[in-house]
Amino acid sequence: MRRAELDQELEAELEFHIAREAEEYERQGVPAAEARRRARLAFGGPERVKEESRDARGTALLESVLQDTRYALRGLRAKPAFAVGVGLTLALGIGANATMFGIVDRLLFRPPAYLRDAGRVHRVYLAQTFARTEYTERYTSVARYLDLKRWTHAFSSVAAFATWHIAVGDGDATRELPVLGATAAYLGLFDARPALGRLFTASEDSLPMGAPVAVLGYAYWQAVFGGRSDVLGRQVRIGRLPYTVVGVAPEGFVGLGDGDVPAIYIPFASFAWNARPEDHTADYHWQWLEIAAQRAPGVTLATATADLTSGAERSWTARYAGDPRAAALVRAARPRGVLGPVRVQRGPLADPEARVAVWVAGVAVIVLLITCANVANLLLARAVTRRREIALRLALGSSRSRLVRQLITESLVLAVLGGIGGLAVAQWGGSLIRALFLPADAATPVLADARTVAITLLATVTAALVTGLAPALHALRSDLARALGAGGRDTDARASRTRTLLLTFQATLSVVLLVGAGLFVRSLERVRALRLGYDVDPVLVVTLNKRGLRLSPPEQIALEHGLAEAAGTVPGVVSATPAPTIPFWAYEGRPLFVAGIDSVDLLGGFVLQAGNSEYFQTVGTRIVRGRGFGRGDRAGAPLVVVVSEGMGRTLWPGRDPIGQCLRIGADTAPCATVVGVAEDTRTESLNGQHQYTYYIPIEQYSSPTSMLLVRVAGRADQHAETVRKRLQPLMPGAAYVKVVPFESIVDPQMRSWQSGATMFVAFGALALSLAAVGLYSVIAYGVIQRRRELGIRIALGAPRGNVLGLVVRGGLQVVVIGICLGSVIAAGAAKRAEPLLFHESATDPAVYAGVAGVLLLVGLVATCVPAFAAARVDPNVTLRAD
Amino acid sequence: MTDPRLDLPQGTLDLLMLKALSLAPMHGWALSERIRQVSHAALQIPQGSLYPALHRLERRGWITSHWGASDNNRKAKYYELTRVGRRQLAAEAHQWARLISAVGLVLDLT
Repeated sequence: MRRAELDQELEAELEFHIAREAEEYERQGVPAAEARRRARLAFGGPERVKEESRDARGTALLESVLQDTRYALRGLRAKPAFAVGVGLTLALGIGANATMFGIVDRLLFRPPAYLRDAGRVHRVYLAQTFARTEYTERYTSVARYLDLKRWTHAFSSVAAFATWHIAVGDGDATRELPVLGATAAYLGLFDARPALGRLFTASEDSLPMGAPVAVLGYAYWQAVFGGRSDVLGRQVRIGRLPYTVVGVAPEGFVGLGDGDVPAIYIPFASFAWNARPEDHTADYHWQWLEIAAQRAPGVTLATATADLTSGAERSWTARYAGDPRAAALVRAARPRGVLGPVRVQRGPLADPEARVAVWVAGVAVIVLLITCANVANLLLARAVTRRREIALRLALGSSRSRLVRQLITESLVLAVLGGIGGLAVAQWGGSLIRALFLPADAATPVLADARTVAITLLATVTAALVTGLAPALHALRSDLARALGAGGRDTDARASRTRTLLLTFQATLSVVLLVGAGLFVRSLERVRALRLGYDVDPVLVVTLNKRGLRLSPPEQIALEHGLAEAAGTVPGVVSATPAPTIPFWAYEGRPLFVAGIDSVDLLGGFVLQAGNSEYFQTVGTRIVRGRGFGRGDRAGAPLVVVVSEGMGRTLWPGRDPIGQCLRIGADTAPCATVVGVAEDTRTESLNGQHQYTYYIPIEQYSSPTSMLLVRVAGRADQHAETVRKRLQPLMPGAAYVKVVPFESIVDPQMRSWQSGATMFVAFGALALSLAAVGLYSVIAYGVIQRRRELGIRIALGAPRGNVLGLVVRGGLQVVVIGICLGSVIAAGAAKRAEPLLFHESATDPAVYAGVAGVLLLVGLVATCVPAFAAARVDPNVTLRAD
Repeated sequence: MTDPRLDLPQGTLDLLMLKALSLAPMHGWALSERIRQVSHAALQIPQGSLYPALHRLERRGWITSHWGASDNNRKAKYYELTRVGRRQLAAEAHQWARLISAVGLVLDLT
C-alpha cells in the first residue's frame, strides 16, 4: 500500500520532469510531439531511473524480500514436480537431523529437570586397581557412602540414592514399579516444589530404619490416583512395608533421570531397611547405591576429585582396620574417586548405545550435506537453463546483488518447505527412532521442544545457504553477451565443474555411510551368531519375591524345589531347575582355591552356578567331556563340580581337568572333584574375556536361589503366563513370582549393535538413493545441454556406441573418484569407531569391496538411462533447433 | 563539435545539489536547470542520475520533500535542505576547498 503510493509519486515526479523538459523544447520552437519525444530521449530509460530511485530510497528491505519470495513461489508453482522433489529431499535430511539431535540432546546434554546448578553436581564413581587392571564402579556400599560423607570437605552435599523395581500395591493390584530411594540431601539438589503436600525431610531419613513416608511421582499420581488431592495420608504397600503418602513431586521431575521414570520416592534409609532389615552402617559388602555430590562454591573439579580420593583412601584404611596387611592392601588397590557429569552417558561408564547415537547423529549431518548437494546441483542446473533470463535481467539494470539476493531467497523458500516437512518427519518417524535409543522416556511432541525447533531452523538456514550458494556464484560470473547471444547452448565449463565436484562430494559421502552400514551389519551378524553357551529363546526366568515373608533357608529351598517340580507339570514345559546365577542379571561367586595357584581371583571372573540333574538340558549348555549331574550327587555325597572349558585350561594348563580338586569357599573346604567339562558361556558381557563358570549340584549348594530356569518347547514368551498361573498359587502369603522370557534379559545386550546397524543401513540407503537421483538428474541435464554437440558427433559419423561410452564414462568417473576418496575417509573414521563394532575390523575388505560394487552398479544404472537417450539423439532435429 | 560540458568529478554531485538547494527549495527539473545555468552549461547532471541522487539524499536526511504547485500550476515535488543537510554541505564544501588547494600546490611546482 505504502509502496504503491510511493511508486505513484515517483511516476508523477518523473512525468512532471519530462513534461517540463518538453515545454522547454516547445519554447524553442519544436512542435509538441517532437518536443515530447526529445525530452523522453534525453531523460533515458524511465524504468531504470525508477528502479534506481527506488533502490536509492531503500524502499524497505522487507518489501524487496517479499517481492523475491512471491517471485520464487510463482516459479515453484510453475514447476511442481521440482518443488515437491526438492522439498521432500530436504525434509528427509532436515527431519533426520532434528530427530537425532533430540536424541543426543536427551542422552548427553540436557540437564535433569529442576536441577539447581547442574555444572557443580557430579556423579561419584569409585575406581580401584585389581589384578593390575583398574575397575570403575558406579555402585557402592552404605558404609563407604557414610565414610565419604564424613571424610570429605569439598562438597556442599553428598547424596545417596538407588532406583529399583519393587512390588507396589496389594494382591492382584501388585505391580513392579521403579522406586527411587533418596536421601534428603538428594532432594536438596533440586529446586522442586511439590505439586501436593511436602517432600520428606532429613529426620525421616535417618539410618537404620528411616520413616515409612512416600512421595508419589507426578505421572504415577495422575495415572493411578487420577490426580486427586485426597491421596495424602493414604497407605501404599511398597516392598514389605506400608508407606504413608505425604506428597506428590512436581510435573516433569525425574530425579537425576537415567533409566525409568520413578513412580514413587521414599527415604533412603527406609529403602535400605525395606530391602534388608538390618543395620547397614557398617556394611562394606553390599554394593547397591549410587552417590551424587555437589561441589562447594569456589571449589575446582581437581580439588574436589583429590578430596574425594583421599576420602576413599581413608575409607579403605578404616575398612581394614586391625588387619596387618591394611596399608599394603590399600596401596595395591589404589582407590580413586572420579567425579563424572550428571548424565551417566557422558561419564566413564557410558553405554555403547550413547556413543552409537552420537555417531548416528554425525551420519544425519552427512545425509543433510548430501541432500543439500543434491538440491544445489538441481538448482545449478536450473540456473544454467535460465541463463538467458538472468542475463536479460542484468542487462535491464537489475544489480548483481539484487539477483543474488533473489536466488538465495528461492533456495530459502525451498529450505523452509523442507524445514516444515522436516519437523513433520521428525515428529512421526522420530518416535520410531527414539524407541531404539532412549529409555522409557515420555515422548514429547517435537514442536514443544524448543531446542529441536531451533536446530531445525539452523539446519534449514544452512541448507538454504549451501544450496543457494552454487547458483548464486554462478549467476555472478555469467557473461552477458555470450548468454544472450548463443541462447544458452554452450556448455558452461565452470558450471559443469561445480556440478561434477558436488556429485563427487555426494558419492564420497555415500561411500562413507555405506561402509559404516556394512560394518555395523556385519557386527550385528556376528553378535547374533555368537555362541553364548546356552539357549535363550526357549528359556523362561522365574523370580521369587518373598515380600516380607519370613522363610528359613530349608523352607525356601523346599519351596523352590516344589516350584521347579510344579513347573515341570505345565504342558509345554520340558524341564526346570533352580539357579542362583542368571547370565547378564545375577551372579553368584565364592572364593576358589586350587593347589599350586596363589590367587585364583587374579586369573579372571569366576561365576558359580548350581542346578538340579536336569540343569544342563534345561539351559542347553553342552557337556564336552565327562558328565553332568546325576542322581548320586546329593547332599552328603562326595562333592562334585563341572567346570567350563576355559576354566579347565586356565586352572590346570596342559592337564585333564577331570579328577582335579577344587576347593570352594575356603582353603580348608573339602575337595570338590571335577567330573565334567562344559562349553564356555558368556555371563557378564558379550565381548569380554576370562569369563568362567563352574557348576555344582543344587543339593550341594545348600542355599536358596530365589530364581528358577524353565525350558519350554517352542517360544518362551508364549508360555510365560501359563507358568506363572501354575506357580503363583504355591507361593505363601503376599509372596509372588515373576516370569519373564530369558530373551528380555539377553537381547538388550545387543541393543547398541542393533540400533547402530538399523540406523546406518537406513541412512546409508537414503544417502545412496539421493546420490543416485542426483547423478541421474545431472547426467540427464547434461545430455539435454550437449544435444547439439552430440548431434554433430553423430552426424560426423561417430558410432552411437561411442556417444554412449562418452556419457557413461563421464558419469562413472565421478563414481570411481567418489569410491576412492570415500574409502579412505571411511577407513579413517571407522578406526575411531572400532570399539563400537563387534569382532569386526575397521578395514574389512569384504565390506569395502561390497560397497564399491553397489556404488558402481547404481552409478552404471543412473548413467545408462540418460546415456541411451543421448545415443538416440537424431542429428537432424538437434542441428536445426536453436 | 566539441562538447562544452565537463565530466562531473566523482563524488561532487551531492555537493552541487546540496549547494543549489541551500539557496531555495526547488523541484528536480529546476535543480538540474539551475546548475546548468550557473556553470555556464559546463556542468550538466545526467538526467538518469538526478532522481536517484535526490532520493538518496532524502534517505540520508539531508533534504526533505513536499508536494507543491509549480509556476504553471502543475503538481511538482519540491526539495529543500534540512539543518543536518546544511552541516553536511558546509563539511563537504570545506573538504572540496582543501582538495583544490592541495592539488593547486602540486601543480604550482615547476
